[in-house]
Amino acid sequence: MNKVYKILPVYTGDVSGAASALYELGGMTVIHDPSGCNSTYNTHDEVRWYDKESLIYISGLNDIDAITGNDDKFIEDICYAAGKMKPKFIALANSPLPYLNGTDFKGITRILEKKTGLPCFYIKTNAMHDYSKGVSEAFLSFAKRMLEPAEKTAGINIVGATPLDLTNTVFEGEINANIAYGTDLESVLKAPGASLNVAVTSAGIGMCEYMKERFGIPYVCGLPWDSEYKDYRDVRRGSSKRYIVGEPVISGSIAARLKVLTGKDYNVVATTEITEGLLLPCDKKCHGEEEIQRALADAEQIIADPLFRLIAPKDVKFTELPHFAMSGRLYRKRIPNLMNMEEYIHES
Amino acid sequence: MPISSDKQIKIKDSSFPKPFSNGLEFNAPSHGTWNIVHIGYAVPSAHQIYICADNCLRGVVMTAAEMGALDRFSSVVLEEDDMLHSGRLEESTTEGITEVLRKLDKVPPVVIVFPVCVHKFMGCDMNHIYKTLEERFPDTKFVRAFMDPVMQKRGTTPDQRLRKALMDIIPEGEEDRNTVAFVGCDMSPAKGNDINNQLINKGIHVLDSARTESLEEYYSIGSASRFICCYPAGRMGSEILARRLRRPLYYLPMDFNKDRIIAALELLGLDVDGSAVTDAERATEELKTLIADTPIAIDYTAVPRPLSLARFLLENGFNLKTVYLDGIDPDEEEDYNFLKEDFPELILHSTIHIMDRRPVRPDEKVLAIGQKAAWFEGTEYFVNIVEGAGLWGFGGIEELMSLMKDAYNTPKDIRDIIPRKGLGCSSVYE
Repeated sequence: MNKVYKILPVYTGDVSGAASALYELGGMTVIHDPSGCNSTYNTHDEVRWYDKESLIYISGLNDIDAITGNDDKFIEDICYAAGKMKPKFIALANSPLPYLNGTDFKGITRILEKKTGLPCFYIKTNAMHDYSKGVSEAFLSFAKRMLEPAEKTAGINIVGATPLDLTNTVFEGEINANIAYGTDLESVLKAPGASLNVAVTSAGIGMCEYMKERFGIPYVCGLPWDSEYKDYRDVRRGSSKRYIVGEPVISGSIAARLKVLTGKDYNVVATTEITEGLLLPCDKKCHGEEEIQRALADAEQIIADPLFRLIAPKDVKFTELPHFAMSGRLYRKRIPNLMNMEEYIHES
Repeated sequence: MPISSDKQIKIKDSSFPKPFSNGLEFNAPSHGTWNIVHIGYAVPSAHQIYICADNCLRGVVMTAAEMGALDRFSSVVLEEDDMLHSGRLEESTTEGITEVLRKLDKVPPVVIVFPVCVHKFMGCDMNHIYKTLEERFPDTKFVRAFMDPVMQKRGTTPDQRLRKALMDIIPEGEEDRNTVAFVGCDMSPAKGNDINNQLINKGIHVLDSARTESLEEYYSIGSASRFICCYPAGRMGSEILARRLRRPLYYLPMDFNKDRIIAALELLGLDVDGSAVTDAERATEELKTLIADTPIAIDYTAVPRPLSLARFLLENGFNLKTVYLDGIDPDEEEDYNFLKEDFPELILHSTIHIMDRRPVRPDEKVLAIGQKAAWFEGTEYFVNIVEGAGLWGFGGIEELMSLMKDAYNTPKDIRDIIPRKGLGCSSVYE
């Protein structure tokens, strides 16, 4: 059963992903969920809580309001908070109980827009997906509601960046907007003026597709080493027993880079949800601990978060690549700048 | 008095027992109090299984990971199809738990099962699930826990019910009149615990449900002749345990009022040690001389009765400015009324209000008792304790004064200490 995790943790969830995506954009993100549920986000899924202020709140939903569908309190509480905190926009994220009782979030956003005069949008989460879906939905909803044509610039946009995937990674080059890590709302609103979008994670693809359609901006997928904006999928790779486990765009980019630098083939074992069009024929998508364990059974070498050791073959050559969305704070100080491959790939 | 929608209020203007209104909530990143994962691990050999959605699961599984205890933790992840088909939730829960247990090297003697809010809202037949599991694994005890925070604002919290469920598996043993057990608390009795010290001095065998070395020892709690509970969240479970085993329970959270301490000692048939009273008074006076008018802030996670502590500090001349809390235990009504009358300017400050989201470094030195007080005050000078720290009585007061003295003299790294979960538990993150 791929729902069973005997020992491996799950990735950060979609609700935390949504909050992480919008953290720096000056809005107010409200998760419609009971008390206590947001401690997961600020404890295990967010590195900025101490240093950078953000308006991430939960509604404190209780059983009676959930059963009776009492949206009035939710709306009143948001209006009160918006009046006090003056956010630039309001984003609402869903969770299992409002998802189950069919809370009309789109209707609520319309009411909130009228009452507060602020742009409001809904992020389609339900706590039953991994962070990549939540980040993707948040960026897409943000783009649809907030982005308008902007003055043309020469720079590119980095799209899909959050500390969940790129905790210590720094991008260089002529960057118009970084969406959305180490950034602010003002620069992100200039994004439609860029000449190229670079989707650095699978969570950025949805927004890139939208911006291509709405603003005519082309995009590539992959980490931009040496400020070169190439699509990692253009590098051909063959089957091998050397695996890179994790998020597909980052893993695919590393695999492509290693192929170019060393001539060796590495295959991606994609363990996060958004993979459509992101894997080569030699790569695999896995859902759940058992599938991942099976995919790694014949491994000669594995590059992955250290927690995957728990299900890796005993004597395999294992290169640790800590990933915040998997191991959280456990190995945080060892999370590398992915742009400096020598920090984390040795003897490949 | 109206309930305040502001972040803080003077006690003279506050309402009892709910000073603040409910609204959107902020969560301060201080996590020293034990959560349901830490509490579950206190039962030796127990394996925990959570059945919930990804986002809900993340917090508990990472708690286990940070404790270095993933080998005693498993999960069954719920997905949309579990909500949309009749009977699927029961099937996924039953078969998921079964698969976990069959994959383990050895089926554990105790399995703590945590269904969630969704199971409640969908009317999941948990009795049928447990019946099936007990037929499949007859040698295993299934502890009927819940992780349903949607219920915690009304009635009992998941934490209270877990403590009760863990006590439900303690079998009735032959009463040993020489054994007393502390139950329902996470903090073991400290050096400064008059009850524990006197019991040991009298040759009484003292058990502590939070610190047993084996499942056999945990089960032996059922032989205790008397139970003592010092933590409010453990009260309900302790009362049910005592009633089931027909033994007396003494519910005695750490109190700072001299008369109440003496009354409690007498209730237990213990002595009032005059020298302990004098030592506590001397330690209090010495601390007052040292810290003079340094502002003090305390919070509800540090001690079970923060208003009792507040009263003690103010009556002894300390410059207590702020008590961080979100509600008031009805048992504290007497101290609340006293403070309202005699110290009306005392500030009550919410810990979940939307306004305060970052610690602001104070202009002057502030001494905090408790992690939340330290976080909100932005002070490195704090007493790092939760849940009363196992302190009790005059020895407890003396030890707390000593901890305050250390905290006043030696700053701590709040960024390293406060975000760590479960004070006293293993915490292996970098």
